[in-house]
Amino acid sequence: MEMVFIAAALIIGLGALGAGIGFGLLGGKLLESTARQPELGNQLQTKAFIMAGLLDAVPMIGVGIAMYLIFVVAG
Amino acid sequence: MSPTRKRINRLPFLQWLATETGLIVVWSLVWFTESRLAGYSAFVGGLIYVIPNAYFAHRMYRFEGARNAHLVVGNMFRAETVKLALTAVFFAAVFILMEPVHVPALLFTFAVMVVLSPLLRWFIRPKPQR
Repeated sequence: MEMVFIAAALIIGLGALGAGIGFGLLGGKLLESTARQPELGNQLQTKAFIMAGLLDAVPMIGVGIAMYLIFVVAG
Repeated sequence: MSPTRKRINRLPFLQWLATETGLIVVWSLVWFTESRLAGYSAFVGGLIYVIPNAYFAHRMYRFEGARNAHLVVGNMFRAETVKLALTAVFFAAVFILMEPVHVPALLFTFAVMVVLSPLLRWFIRPKPQR
């Protein structure tokens, strides 16, 4: 049973790590490129918004599977 | 420098919500052919994605423009944190409170919405106000 909790913790932890690195890079590049070309800030924000949706796809699905493991398989 | 709240983009919030809800309904109907429980679970799975994502979109576009870029990025980080937390809470609530639940329908609809939603945002993009 403990292995299920370890698996869920790994799924959530590694997903959060990846999302954190990805969002850090995305936010940093957004700030950098907006500082370079402020007139494009509008379009860059929209593109960052779309990329954020793609970036958190895997962690979101991971959260769903981890909750299933915790509350259905182990519970 | 104080942040400005003047809107630059016209956000298609209602269009996004309507299209996502339409997609969930169609997908639930597909699952409904298997069983009533599967259709209901698929609808709930779609809603688990749509509600946190609506919050994310609202929070992300709270500030706009190059002058507020630091606020945009800060809000994006906070919105993402709350979105993941809300998703976890909703999944936990469904698995604890909703009995019985068709897990493949729930998770598969959620995954489909996660993949389709950025495509939807690409096709229905915020447009600059003229």
